[in-house]
Amino acid sequence: MILEMNNIEKHFGELEVLKDISFGVDSGEVVSIIGPSGSGKSTLLRCATFLETIDGGEIIYMGEKAAHTDANGNAVYVSHQEMRKFRKYCGLVFQQFNLFPHYSILKNIIDAPMHVQQISKDEAEATAMELLGKMGIADKANAYPYQLSGGQQQRVAIARALAMKPEILFFDEPTSALDPELTGEVLKVIRQLAEEKMTMVVVTHEMPFAKAVSNRVLFMDGGVIVEQGDPRDVFDNPKEERTKQFLRVFER
Amino acid sequence: MTFATMLSTMAEGMLKTFLIFTLTLVGSLPLGMIVALLRKSRFAVVRGFIRGYISIIRGTPLMLQLLVWYFGPYYLFGINIGGWRFPAIIVGFVVNYAAYFAEIYRGGIESIPVGQYEAAEVLGYTKTQTFMRIILPQVIKIIMPSVTNEVITLVKDTSLAFTLAYQEVFSLAKQIAASQTSFMPFVIAGVFYFVANYIVEIAMNRIEKSMDYYK
Repeated sequence: MILEMNNIEKHFGELEVLKDISFGVDSGEVVSIIGPSGSGKSTLLRCATFLETIDGGEIIYMGEKAAHTDANGNAVYVSHQEMRKFRKYCGLVFQQFNLFPHYSILKNIIDAPMHVQQISKDEAEATAMELLGKMGIADKANAYPYQLSGGQQQRVAIARALAMKPEILFFDEPTSALDPELTGEVLKVIRQLAEEKMTMVVVTHEMPFAKAVSNRVLFMDGGVIVEQGDPRDVFDNPKEERTKQFLRVFER
Repeated sequence: MTFATMLSTMAEGMLKTFLIFTLTLVGSLPLGMIVALLRKSRFAVVRGFIRGYISIIRGTPLMLQLLVWYFGPYYLFGINIGGWRFPAIIVGFVVNYAAYFAEIYRGGIESIPVGQYEAAEVLGYTKTQTFMRIILPQVIKIIMPSVTNEVITLVKDTSLAFTLAYQEVFSLAKQIAASQTSFMPFVIAGVFYFVANYIVEIAMNRIEKSMDYYK
């Protein structure tokens, strides 16, 4: 198991966003999370990547506990120092790309490896150029984010995350901010990563993509996992009424 | 008094004006950043203190503040500080301008999208690295026009040092104009301020241009 999240609880004030969520991700697995907006998908991803703190449950990466619930029922995280190790395990690709506008494409990708992981400039650049080649945008290395299309920016964001060599890569609706014609180029890259057995968790509204690429689908609604399983089962023979109802919307 | 002597007498004042201007910027630009960061401190006492400081500084005339800095030590605490005139002017200007710069910085910092912080956090940058490498460079670009405004105001505000009888350009112009019954010193002072600000404009434009490579 790369990641285990057990009995995760998260609330914003009175609002319970995640209710006793448990799931795990194996090495090389691609998990898609689908569900209506407000179902807690993004929050789950943000908890997994430590952008949000959980209120209960445990987060385990590579068999090591990053957070657990203590005897008093409070979620406790490892020390600030130890946290750095856990952050290194996971990468996140945002819906809004969040590239650094003042850095060139190349610098966007090499800055964190150089200044967070202390990798030499030559090595970081070699890795970055290889990744940009893979993303089909090696010619953009010296451009700035504003000069790129949304699809290109998102591919840079994927390269930036991969340059940190994470064990698992999370995608938070990676194509939701893109025109339909740009969506394809980003999905193609994710598909290619799946073929290379990159461990990934993708929150998405692209149902055909989720069905084709993932090994497992999670359907979330109201802060719980309503149904999960093989994508063919979930999409073609959903067991739960709520799942059927949700998928029907996409058939129209 | 010939025009040449007038000019050479006033040149000394120009030097003093330039000194106030430079020292104020050197002191208030970094102090403003510290103030802006303290305003976001997690301690309510610190935040309250900073808000009060900014409120008082912006709510009272700089001229009055200069008088308080100069005479305050004696009238409030009975302390006589030798040679306090020039330091009092610099302290007054720095403390005043830092408050304005702090508010400009705060506006800039708050306009950076939260996604920039989150991207940096996920990539493992420390808080300091995030601020120095990701946030600050973008803030500087955003605040440049407001800073230019403030710097231009400062050039003209230096004339307030006349309140403490410091012999900068404006004080000298008034004195010479009175003693020589001449209008010329005012013309010289006016040209001096205008040229100084023209240089400021050109310099700030250059800096802004140098950051035009991204949007």
